[in-house]
Amino acid sequence: MATTTESTPKAGAKPFDIVATYNELLRSDPDLTMPIAAIEALVLLLTHSPSSTISETLDLLAQSTAHLKKAIPNPIGLSAGTDLFQRYLITTLQRPGQLGPAGDFKAIRTHLLSNGRLFIRRAKESREKIVAFGRGFIRDGCTVLTNGGSRAVASLLQKAADEEGGPSAVRFRVIYVLSSISKKTAEACGEPEGMETVRALRAKGVPVSTIPESAVAYALGKADMVIVGAEGVVENGGIVSRMGTYQIGLLAKAIGKPFYCVAESHKFVRLYPLGQYDLPIEQHVIDFKSEEDIAEQSQQPVDTGVDRPVELESVDFTPPHLISALITDSGVLTPSAVSEELIKIWF
Amino acid sequence: MPSTSPALTPGLSSFLKSLKSNPIDTSIENLISLLKRRQICHSRSCATATAYLLRSVVSLCRTSESSKLIERVQSVGRRLMAAQPREMVVGNIVRRVLGLIRDEAEDDRDAEFALSESESQPQTPRAFDDASLPLDRDSLALGAERSTRPPLTSMFSLLSHPEPEASLPSTPGSQSPGGHYSGNNFTKDLRAEVLEGINEIIDELGQVDEQISNYALEHIHSNEIILTHTSSTTVQKFLLRAATKRKFTVVHAESYPNNHEVTHATVSGTRPDDDELLSFESFQKPLIAHGITVILIPDSAVFALMSRVNKVILGTHSVLANGGLVAAAGTRVIARAAKVHQTPVVVVSGVYKLSPVYPFDFDSLIEYGDASKVLPYEDGDLVEKIDVQNPLYDYVPAELVDLYITNLGGHAPSYLYRIVSDHYRKEDISF
Repeated sequence: MATTTESTPKAGAKPFDIVATYNELLRSDPDLTMPIAAIEALVLLLTHSPSSTISETLDLLAQSTAHLKKAIPNPIGLSAGTDLFQRYLITTLQRPGQLGPAGDFKAIRTHLLSNGRLFIRRAKESREKIVAFGRGFIRDGCTVLTNGGSRAVASLLQKAADEEGGPSAVRFRVIYVLSSISKKTAEACGEPEGMETVRALRAKGVPVSTIPESAVAYALGKADMVIVGAEGVVENGGIVSRMGTYQIGLLAKAIGKPFYCVAESHKFVRLYPLGQYDLPIEQHVIDFKSEEDIAEQSQQPVDTGVDRPVELESVDFTPPHLISALITDSGVLTPSAVSEELIKIWF
Repeated sequence: MPSTSPALTPGLSSFLKSLKSNPIDTSIENLISLLKRRQICHSRSCATATAYLLRSVVSLCRTSESSKLIERVQSVGRRLMAAQPREMVVGNIVRRVLGLIRDEAEDDRDAEFALSESESQPQTPRAFDDASLPLDRDSLALGAERSTRPPLTSMFSLLSHPEPEASLPSTPGSQSPGGHYSGNNFTKDLRAEVLEGINEIIDELGQVDEQISNYALEHIHSNEIILTHTSSTTVQKFLLRAATKRKFTVVHAESYPNNHEVTHATVSGTRPDDDELLSFESFQKPLIAHGITVILIPDSAVFALMSRVNKVILGTHSVLANGGLVAAAGTRVIARAAKVHQTPVVVVSGVYKLSPVYPFDFDSLIEYGDASKVLPYEDGDLVEKIDVQNPLYDYVPAELVDLYITNLGGHAPSYLYRIVSDHYRKEDISF
């Protein structure tokens, strides 16, 4: 794995910086999800720390995780990864056997350190599994409405399109909801998130229509189902996803269209948000201003550019009653099945 | 399907009689054609026929390995399911038998686990804990070590030790029992235990209505007005059990045109001896004999009467993994009307009707029946000019149902996934 070798020498020179490693991992591999990048960063951290006892390791992990969570503006996705890693370590250590308390702590350490790429591979394989489970949802002649830049959704749609001409050809259409280009993205690539998927689908012969977010209610009548991705799946089965997903969910419910969410099971996160404003992140989406405030702000023009660095990244919470089913790598689940999966690893 | 001369009409009882005398391949063909011709069509009759047939298949399958047994059951199961794909109970029973064989094979491999886990109602969530997808090999391979390990969740499969993956066997079944057992002893035990498990499934099918009706008094209270639909025996037994202790009123929609004659007979107590149902338990006294007021209404009056109804109790054809159900045509109208009036909807169904199939395409689940029941062929002039359709089933989405009562108790629709995972192995869901 290129990322592993890249970051190792750099971090070796100075004290290991988990935040930089995490960001570097995400940047270097566009296919990497946040939880997996977090797990990778923790594995690299262990490589660089000589800790040899269990409690020392767990302590180090807890500290670094807290540090990482503080440094990243939206830690929901990555906390799924760090939690999973921590729980895995604890469960493995409590378990009798070679890797258990009686066994050699080094064994589990070496296992983790030597299998960094295996985790990434499995994470990508889990998308294949999702495709296998989700294939049945996309049928001939149906129209799918989707949004955002989820890789799991993209791979599901592309896989369904690939089989065109094959024995199980699916002829479907896609309505892609594109968010309006914010200032920040315009600088980066000049196009809204998801255009890449749109191009790939069109290249495979799938008719794609792109609509603005304001046209969702208008377009839903033509769609047979909504498929969205998620950044995190929370305990009650709701999803934390790209801003705009909640309104699509509400509209789909009102119009009576099924609303499916595609997410890997390592995105299940132990959060129980009670509403939109209960997420453990700070988003400056709603920002009340009077003329006075604007005037005050214009005196410091330097700040305006950095004012909302997370605008693109902002998320909302879609409650479980809007979700028909979650398509995950452990099967098609109802939202209430998520809590059980989480309970299994935590208790 | 009611028939006046059970001896002549092919059906469940004639099939069960012939099962003992005919060679197994003839029996398989026989059941396939019965299913195709819809000569067996009640959910429970199909389930019973399948269970008995599989029992013969397993007992006649002289093989030394569990994988061969699984293969054999799979191939028979596939043919049965292809014969009548909408009769989902057939697939359910096949999957449960496959799960039995897998459980037994794994138990036998764990030497210390001599305990039979072939319970027909497995309460342990082991099938779920395995979470072994067809693709997820490592958790399958861990089967042998399971006794010493806590259940491996699918979420950990991302991080788990890769060792098992390296040395993975192709399927759990293909692993030979190993040196600890003599091959002969092993198969004998395996087959005997599987047969015992199938017998338990058959027992369950016989007792399911009784078990469900045990919950009746918890749900039906004095002076309530209950609305029901079709002549489902499960519902009737449920109501009859409540009628022994309580007085209430039943509003019975007649379910024209597919089931109205039987429904009328059920209400009036002049139900003819039904070949299919006779084989379980002949129908007892009707509700009116217990002093229950039964009001027979046409289906069109459901909405008008719904405001007076306290509870809707429905039978079903099959229940799907997402909590939705496929039931006799007209059920959705009733469920929807109940929703509008905020009347609770209770569905009574045996666990054997619970299918692990996710309804991707609702339309494909609906079966269309004899159009002449809607418009008799005597009206030849009309028949030529118009297109008549007679759907037998309705798909009812999960949000219209408030409670499921199965032989295991009452469950919310969102909890059904759990019962599915308790009863079916993941690797069998799409075999």
